[in-house]
Amino acid sequence: MSETLTLRGLIEKRGASRVVEGHITSCAASRDHQRFAFTTGEGDVIVAHRSDLTDAASWATYAVHDGPALSVTPDTDPHGFLTGGDDGRLCRLDMHGEIEELGKSRRWVEHVLSYVDNKTSYIAAAMGKQVELRDATGRTVLKTFEHPSSVSGITFDAKGKRLAASHYNGASLWYTQSKSDNPRLLEWKGSHIGIAMHPQGEALVTAMQDNDLHGWRLSDGHNIRMSGYPTKVRSMSFSANGKWLATSGADVVVMWPFFGGGPMGKPPAELPGAGGALCTRVAFHPEQEVVAAGFADGTVLMIEPATERVLPVSLGGNGPISALAYSADGCMLGFGTEEGLIGLVDLAAA
Amino acid sequence: MSDAPLPSDTQDALVPVTVLTGFLGAGKTTLLNHILTAEHGRKYAVVINEYGELGVDNDLVVDADEEVFEMNNGCICCTVRGDLIRILGGLMKRRGKFDGIIIETTGLADPAPVAQTFFADEDVRAKTRLDAVVTVVDALNILQTLKESPEAHQQIAFADVMILNKTDLVDDAQLKQVEDTLRSINAIAPIHRAQKGNVKLTDVMDRGGFDLQRVLEHMPDFLENPEHHHEEDLSSVSLTVKTPLDAGKFQMWIGALLQEKGADILRTKGILNFEGQPDRFAFQAVHMMADGNNIGPWKEGEPRDSRLVFIGRNLNRPQLRRGLESCAVA
Ligand SMILES: [Zn+2]
Repeated sequence: MSETLTLRGLIEKRGASRVVEGHITSCAASRDHQRFAFTTGEGDVIVAHRSDLTDAASWATYAVHDGPALSVTPDTDPHGFLTGGDDGRLCRLDMHGEIEELGKSRRWVEHVLSYVDNKTSYIAAAMGKQVELRDATGRTVLKTFEHPSSVSGITFDAKGKRLAASHYNGASLWYTQSKSDNPRLLEWKGSHIGIAMHPQGEALVTAMQDNDLHGWRLSDGHNIRMSGYPTKVRSMSFSANGKWLATSGADVVVMWPFFGGGPMGKPPAELPGAGGALCTRVAFHPEQEVVAAGFADGTVLMIEPATERVLPVSLGGNGPISALAYSADGCMLGFGTEEGLIGLVDLAAA
Repeated sequence: MSDAPLPSDTQDALVPVTVLTGFLGAGKTTLLNHILTAEHGRKYAVVINEYGELGVDNDLVVDADEEVFEMNNGCICCTVRGDLIRILGGLMKRRGKFDGIIIETTGLADPAPVAQTFFADEDVRAKTRLDAVVTVVDALNILQTLKESPEAHQQIAFADVMILNKTDLVDDAQLKQVEDTLRSINAIAPIHRAQKGNVKLTDVMDRGGFDLQRVLEHMPDFLENPEHHHEEDLSSVSLTVKTPLDAGKFQMWIGALLQEKGADILRTKGILNFEGQPDRFAFQAVHMMADGNNIGPWKEGEPRDSRLVFIGRNLNRPQLRRGLESCAVA
């Protein structure tokens, strides 16, 4: 049962990996950076504890969803996780492994997010055309945002003041504390399939069905086109300083400059790839200007844009990278593949 | 009636998808339940649009929203079902739990966006294939429905297979009239008579193995529809060219033709003999979106005729024939 792969790179000395059943759909670290969770197409959540990071056999498996688990995000508490699934359930998996059903919908719960600062905490979950904004406990729905078509992606801004959702013909920007029930609508014809918010709130970017990106400068709604991809862009990540937007969708890591007047009229930077394999996932380090990138051949790299220095995290994996995330302290990097390989690396280890 | 065993899966790793269309009351859900409960040892994921008519008895049922969007090429016929892209992508995350996918469309749906989803989206193309559009037709009411509804015409035009249901409710003369009418719209899809959806599974599922060439060969010439009909009516035009075709010329011609007339040409299908190619080339298009692949060599001694069928409106047969003939090698 326990298939093993010989992986090379940072993961050899500083990490561990394991093959589980099912497509890995997403991964995330808890807020205290002590746990890391992976969700699978079988509905399982696999949780690694940082103290046992290199002992993959000790990672615990929880059967949370009936059908694929689609999304995982840190809970509003320091220790646990929130997951959404194909079974229409929004669930909490706490530090003791207890599962609590917070919501049940007839639609797939495709996206789950949380936001926490010292004043407010929110949980957001997208299901069909709706996005529910819940309180920190997840047990109370504060608001339900309705959209004209299914929501393909959600994101909070850096201060938790706004929540943006992508859908057909554009994106909706909702104010979390506003009394009004109307969003700011950012329109652009077509099917928008994913979303990212600039960390300083300068722009909102969506990925489109037609293999390109669309952006809106939020100060004046000015449209930004970013095109040239051979495939759909399924993963986008801004650098913490807001200078770069890293994207998947090409055989290199395509990075749009959000400085010096860019990205309008500026070509993107292209960081080295994995020998022609398509980039499928990107994740910027939460503090430093370093981007992690996963590829269709299972390769995971860390790349420093300024120097183009490449650090192999995992080589020799199986199947396209389908999940990739740092912990918020930047000390753990986890990834998963469509074939069920999960890997976790401790970047702080001496 | 016992169902013949379905052919075992080939090396084909793509998940077959069957699209069930038909007007409300035609018996789609009955047929669907018949397929699901038959003794075939296969598991299907079912995507439905309508709750209510009848329950669907299956473990894996997904509710779709029928969200159609236009591609950004500015053309009104180039429409795709975004919800299906998402649902099929989601289903692929539980690959291995089912052998095929069945999509039931709403009674009034134009099948084009569903079919085009299988041409237009790279992820859908990479993991699934459109096995067949199966259109369920109510023998008792279809002639009336056709008078009232353009969607019914489209559903028949799009069919790869037609199930003529409720044949027990009409007499032979009526049945013949219905079949002639269906044929005048879609000359190529086989018509299977049924009562209460009791069809042989092999007639509707796994049609990927179904021999388009054989159907084309046996397609009689009368299908140019001798009766007077209006230009805006949907009809079929079938063409045969005995000289081998130049692949480059054909791609140029069909590309330009579909670009110009694709809104009127609902479906194009053909088996083509390209000069210098040992394999038969299977071509198909839905409106402007086209696709083709080699499907193995010609049989020993069989005539290597290229055959192409168009289903659409305002089809100008002489013009189409001249166009195809101009693709023959000099
Ligand atoms: Zn078109």
